[in-house]
Amino acid sequence: MNQEVNKLQELLARVQRNAALPRTLVSGRGLAHEAPAAFSPPPYVPPAAELTAEEMFFESEPPPPEPAIASQPTAIPAPPVVQPRATLDASVDELLLEDPFPSVPPPVPTYGDVLDDPMQSVPAGSARPLDHDEDVSGVVAISEFSDEQPEELLEDDIVEMTASEAAELPAVTNTLDELNFDDDEGDDKRAAPQSEEEPPASSSRSKIAGTMDEALARAAEQIELEEGREVPLKTPPPESGPQAAVAMPAGMHAPLSPDIEELLEADILPSAGVRAAVPTAEQLGQTIDLDEARGPSLELDQPVASPEPLHEELASEEAEITLPGRVFAGGYQENLMPPPEAREELDAHRQRQGDDSVPPPESLAQYPSHRPEAQPVGFAPVIVPASVTTDSYSESVSTVTVDAPPNAEFAPELLARPEVGPSPVAKFIRTEAPRPKTFMELLDSSLALGSD
Amino acid sequence: MSLNFDPSYALEFDFGRGQIRMANASERVIVPSDALLALCRGASEDAVRDFGRRLGTEAGRVMNDRLGEAWQASLETVLEHLGGELALMGLGSLGLERWGQALVLSFSHSPLGAEGDLLLGSILEGAMQRSFGRDTVAIKLMRDDQKVRFLLAGHAGARKAGNWLAEGVPWGDILSRLTTRGAS
Repeated sequence: MNQEVNKLQELLARVQRNAALPRTLVSGRGLAHEAPAAFSPPPYVPPAAELTAEEMFFESEPPPPEPAIASQPTAIPAPPVVQPRATLDASVDELLLEDPFPSVPPPVPTYGDVLDDPMQSVPAGSARPLDHDEDVSGVVAISEFSDEQPEELLEDDIVEMTASEAAELPAVTNTLDELNFDDDEGDDKRAAPQSEEEPPASSSRSKIAGTMDEALARAAEQIELEEGREVPLKTPPPESGPQAAVAMPAGMHAPLSPDIEELLEADILPSAGVRAAVPTAEQLGQTIDLDEARGPSLELDQPVASPEPLHEELASEEAEITLPGRVFAGGYQENLMPPPEAREELDAHRQRQGDDSVPPPESLAQYPSHRPEAQPVGFAPVIVPASVTTDSYSESVSTVTVDAPPNAEFAPELLARPEVGPSPVAKFIRTEAPRPKTFMELLDSSLALGSD
Repeated sequence: MSLNFDPSYALEFDFGRGQIRMANASERVIVPSDALLALCRGASEDAVRDFGRRLGTEAGRVMNDRLGEAWQASLETVLEHLGGELALMGLGSLGLERWGQALVLSFSHSPLGAEGDLLLGSILEGAMQRSFGRDTVAIKLMRDDQKVRFLLAGHAGARKAGNWLAEGVPWGDILSRLTTRGAS
């Protein structure tokens, strides 16, 4: 029996050296300063009566929260599960593999709690020596007595055990069953029913692998489980969640899903006005196919585009009927007879054209330099005065003087108005109205107006 | 008899008493022209005529006091003094026109505008009554932007002129008709 206890103590010492000691803050501090190179016996946990006030207040502060735990993406947002205390019949491995990340962190002890239950604040790394004869459960109770959250196990925390050592563990477990480290019965009572009904959510970690292959296999399984697990969403709002469907009243129904064909037709048609004129798809289904036209086939040939001048196009645009161009511009028909009154002038013109000499320009003050020799019959020479003046007796009237030569054919005959001496054109007769001398007379005459 | 109208010291402002007096006249009250027009618009035609005649009577009385014997005054003298008194009232510039035997008095630059024509005509009627003792009727012949003409006639002539005006006869023709028929 003593041998088993000794072996167990050895084993637990190794476990404690590798895993248990660095977990607590106090142990970290203490070991940092006085870390023994060799194995140090587990600290002795004195009974409550032996504790002093300084010891009780030594580790009253709660450990700092670990943000890494809170930000675990794989945390299951299931109903909060109270992290139960390790059962007494659990093995050492189970205790070591206990879920260090409980869903609900334990309550932070207050000052009053510390006073009421000083055992909870006993530091694990207390300098108080521990007798080896005492129960080795003190080593296990490091996490039990400490309210601090156990840290995540590192690789160093994993205990390497051989098969023989693993076989010995149940015996130790049985021994540990006899130990009672629970000093808080209330917690035990709360955790007991839940542990009996279903395993805690945080104790789902399997046992440690005996060999490396087994560990790798379990890690692979764990990875598969992690991949297959659906990542829960964040906490939904209170109003959301599954709700019972309420039957809609009669006559009301949810809007039907739009017909894709109708939507496509609506996209094709440009506007509502056009839609009214264009038959719908349903109407097209009732369309009667007409037979082909009976008759001579008509073939339309594309006319050959001929370049036309721009001015012709413009002329056709401006007038509906394009007038013909001037084919005989500058000419006339010779068979046309001149008017009788112009015949003589035309003969004279032709006769003048026969001469080589060109007549000089004439003015009103000169007779034509060229006189036709042939005198028309019926025209007698008119003797006109050598000088005709239109000067008026008034200087304001403009005058024109024409000196007609004696041989002029058509001399103008100008007649002058006889001179009239200046005389008054109009006569204004001023009538002298009787002007009233006084205002009174004018007023009386005005008052008399209109009276018969 | 003074021939020229002298407006010197015609108005006396007594600031101590807060009064305004005219020479040889009673106290005056300076009122806004638009307020006077509003009063005339609210009053009946007879009331406006009575009010205007009282004003004209006061002007004629003052003129008689100045001229002494108004019935011997010439046209210019009456125009000068009566026009001066009306100008002191701020009613505008008085003018005189003689169309044959017709006497036409006009107001120019009257602040009362067209709405005050009835009042102006009544003033003339009151002045003629007070100064010369004649009952006259002032018939408005025409009105433009700045001048309004009144024919001073008797009741018979005023009735005829009124009828012709209603028929649309030009005011010049009315004067010609009155003068011709009166002469004949």
